Amino acid sequence: MEGYLGIDVGSVSTNLVIINRENRIIASVYTRTMGRPIEAVQRGMVELNQQLDCEIEIKGAGTTGSARYLTAAMVGADVVKNEITAHAVAAINVIPEVKTVIEIGGQDSKIILLQNKVVVDFAMNTVCAAGTGSFLDHQSARLGVPIEKFGELALKAKNGVQIAGRCSVFAESDMIHKQQMGYCLEEIVYGLCEALVRNYLNNLSKGKEILSPVVFQGGVAANAGMKRAFEEALNVEIIIPPFFNVMGAIGAAILAKEQTEFQPATNFRGFSVSDLEYKTSSFVCAGCSNTCEVVKIQVENETLARWGGRCGKWEVASEKSLNVTCKPAN
Amino acid sequence: MSSSTNKSILNKGSAVSENEFCLPVKIFYGHVLDLTDKVDFIFIPRVVSVKKGTYTCPKFLGLPDMIKAIDKPLPKILSPTVNLNLGFKKYYSTILEVGKLFTQSYFKIGYSYVSALKEFKNTKLKQEEEWIKSKKETSEVKIGLVGHDYNIYDSYLTMNLTKRLEALGVKTVTCDSLPSHLIEKEVSTLPKKLFWSYEEEIVGAAFHWLRDRTVDGIIYVLTFACGPDSLIQVLLEHEAKNSSGKIPFMSLVIDEHSGEAGLITRLEAFIDMLGRRETEKVLV
Amino acid sequence: MKITSPHMGNIYLLLGDLFKRFEVEYIPPPPTTNRTLQLGIRYSPEFACLPLKVTVGNFIEGIERGADTLVMAGGVGPCRFGYYAEVQKRIIGSLGYNFNMITVEPIGAGLVNFVKTFKKLAPKSSIKEIYKSIKTSFIKAQVFDFVEKKAFEARAFEIKKGATNVAVKHATEILNSAFTPTELGEAKAEAFRIMNAVEKKEEEDYLKIGIVGEFFILLEPFCNFDMCEWLGNRGVLVERSVYLTDWIGSSKENPVAGIGEEEIKKAAKPYLSHFVGGEGLPTIGNSVKFAQRGFDGVIQLFPFTCMPDTIAKSILPKISRDFDIPILSFVIDEQTAKAGVITRLEAFLDLIRARKNSRFKAKEKVVETVNC
Repeated sequence: MEGYLGIDVGSVSTNLVIINRENRIIASVYTRTMGRPIEAVQRGMVELNQQLDCEIEIKGAGTTGSARYLTAAMVGADVVKNEITAHAVAAINVIPEVKTVIEIGGQDSKIILLQNKVVVDFAMNTVCAAGTGSFLDHQSARLGVPIEKFGELALKAKNGVQIAGRCSVFAESDMIHKQQMGYCLEEIVYGLCEALVRNYLNNLSKGKEILSPVVFQGGVAANAGMKRAFEEALNVEIIIPPFFNVMGAIGAAILAKEQTEFQPATNFRGFSVSDLEYKTSSFVCAGCSNTCEVVKIQVENETLARWGGRCGKWEVASEKSLNVTCKPAN
Repeated sequence: MSSSTNKSILNKGSAVSENEFCLPVKIFYGHVLDLTDKVDFIFIPRVVSVKKGTYTCPKFLGLPDMIKAIDKPLPKILSPTVNLNLGFKKYYSTILEVGKLFTQSYFKIGYSYVSALKEFKNTKLKQEEEWIKSKKETSEVKIGLVGHDYNIYDSYLTMNLTKRLEALGVKTVTCDSLPSHLIEKEVSTLPKKLFWSYEEEIVGAAFHWLRDRTVDGIIYVLTFACGPDSLIQVLLEHEAKNSSGKIPFMSLVIDEHSGEAGLITRLEAFIDMLGRRETEKVLV
Repeated sequence: MKITSPHMGNIYLLLGDLFKRFEVEYIPPPPTTNRTLQLGIRYSPEFACLPLKVTVGNFIEGIERGADTLVMAGGVGPCRFGYYAEVQKRIIGSLGYNFNMITVEPIGAGLVNFVKTFKKLAPKSSIKEIYKSIKTSFIKAQVFDFVEKKAFEARAFEIKKGATNVAVKHATEILNSAFTPTELGEAKAEAFRIMNAVEKKEEEDYLKIGIVGEFFILLEPFCNFDMCEWLGNRGVLVERSVYLTDWIGSSKENPVAGIGEEEIKKAAKPYLSHFVGGEGLPTIGNSVKFAQRGFDGVIQLFPFTCMPDTIAKSILPKISRDFDIPILSFVIDEQTAKAGVITRLEAFLDLIRARKNSRFKAKEKVVETVNC
């Protein structure tokens, strides 16, 4: 059987999927990155391989997420895509007529607007934690409620407590204040969901019209309280796709499938990459006054890729040896 | 007129305005939205300059256009340009222009303008006189409040700063209580003339109080992301540190995240500090 | 007297040339790096805009290199840039450094003052010599600007990757060694020849993006993450609204960018009918012009809390709607990470390419699967 591999390496989670020619999911892995993208990918590859019950030939591989270039060099990807396009492609695959994609991950969040399967506008938030999943993670630790229980609790609340402040630090002090005033836990938990939705809408959807169908994906979509809060705030039905937490990887796999149709063979190096020892190092290029910091990734003394230079001479060297298209596909 | 600033106005405003704007501009958007269903016209003058050789802040210059760009149905916007850099002749013709929207009588327009001006001057004079009287009163703690009028006089934005200070037994005074020649005198000591008129008032008043020591402390209210304030703050803090008067000076940066609890703590600590200084003075 | 002045794109080339003519020692600060920024952040007010912080860092690093005289541009408002020098004098002074600060106010703020300032900067030269030096240096700087502009045009189509950068470097060396007006004339011709000689491929289906925004961020590659070059390397034809000599020159015609102020004002009028300081009005006017000229997208860059360009940002969505052109705004501050910028840029390119393709398809009725 033929399969296509998609890998999404974000700052919080690393997701891998294998899809078949019909874009159906054959295997998927969701694991924590924990600051070590290479190890996370290797771990994920092992797990992925274990899930497969028949022989699969990987015909194409794609990477996305903040460590997309590193991962591409590591596994030998056919396509490297930014996470916005990847998420859009995956959402279209589930709901072809989708008009709005809400994606909230651990450390960033996005809104993507589409018309006729074409992205027409997007916004992304990476700086402010108040609009991302880490906000809920952090508060759940404060409240002593495991994040998995958040959704269940939030649905029990009649109303949410108004939690003030658009900044996670201020929201936290306000939440403590509300706790001390004696509000019940469910209402505080739902209040936090509402605050996150408010933050998200204020930060990202300003001046953008949110049209139905709306697809909500990313790790935070696991939280039923968030779905409810979005539905109440926007007054539209929110669709959560079955594989909401690995949508970026699905998008990368679909893009890899499309890409390999135009090239003779895949660059994928095989599942054995999880047994290799990768080394990353950096050096300061002394070629000119720019003093760029160049990062390189090596496997068993062979340099796979280098990047970070402004003039591009290091990248050029890598492309030859790897044949990776580290550019948006035309 | 729109209602006094409240939570819903701020929320409405910050929902449509750019995140990068300062708090007063977000509130302004909110006030405009508060009026949309209630009126036929909204009066948003483009205040370019209120004093020759100076400007107001760029956001005042762009306000009418910023509001028109909101993607919502709005009443008609009246935006005459007030620019004293172009001289008084142009200024008066702007007033006539606005007046003619309401009446054909030149006399009425002139009369309205003169009485409005008189009213304004009287209020200012009263404030000045009051300050001269209370300056002599030595028993009470006095604090000079400096900052933009639209911040200081907005009790929602400052979280009732003036009332809170009064409750703590403190008398407050703003730069409106100082005659303009005093402000001018202080501002002229700067090596480079300021090109913002409202900021001249802030700097002039703060410098004046730092030197003549008729107040016990100065609180500077500024809002996050305010362009002029970000630089004026350096001038004021530098002067407060280096002036001989050693008047305690506190900057209070406010944005929509500011909590009341933090404000109260800071105010109380500041007042306590002033109190201790007073006792020390007595002891010495 | 050892002079230093902050970095802003090619301005160090202009100043290097000018002070050579004045026979005054000029010590440019080391190129802006993260250390520069960190120094600036540590000593500058929290919500001052990024250019203030970066230039404070430049000054400190310039002093560390041995400079004793700081030269800064002034201004008459209402953008706060005009008051930078006064504030920086206090900030750097309170750190205990000994220095003299000379602020160059625009000619418009008083000719006498302007001449006096330059007498201070060039004690050995007569007024006539100063005038001639400024004129020649300015012309040279203008050639540098044209070289930069030609590089934007060449990079998108270069056959050999990096050929444009090699040409720019070569042209810069030739221009740097030219001193007299005659030499400069020859160097200019040679520099243009070198730039035009970059081998280009014939490309019909390429993207055109207009870059607008606040001048410092646009001119200083450290602050804009080399965006123009990044786009050029991906085959995008870039046109930038601001060039150094257009900005400092007194001409209202903006010879390098090729669009006069009157035209910009006219284009902006329906959206912003009054100047708001800084690049507020030019950002609006140039965006409209780019849209009218059929560009595929516009990118706006400006520092966080920048007043004029924040005003422009609030109006740009209207232009985007009216002209149906995607506009991407980047608000840059010290926390802006390159990775985030690149992700957005890549997605933006995907977006405008997909739009272009779908439009093309609608016209030609070609049925084909398109990536994303």
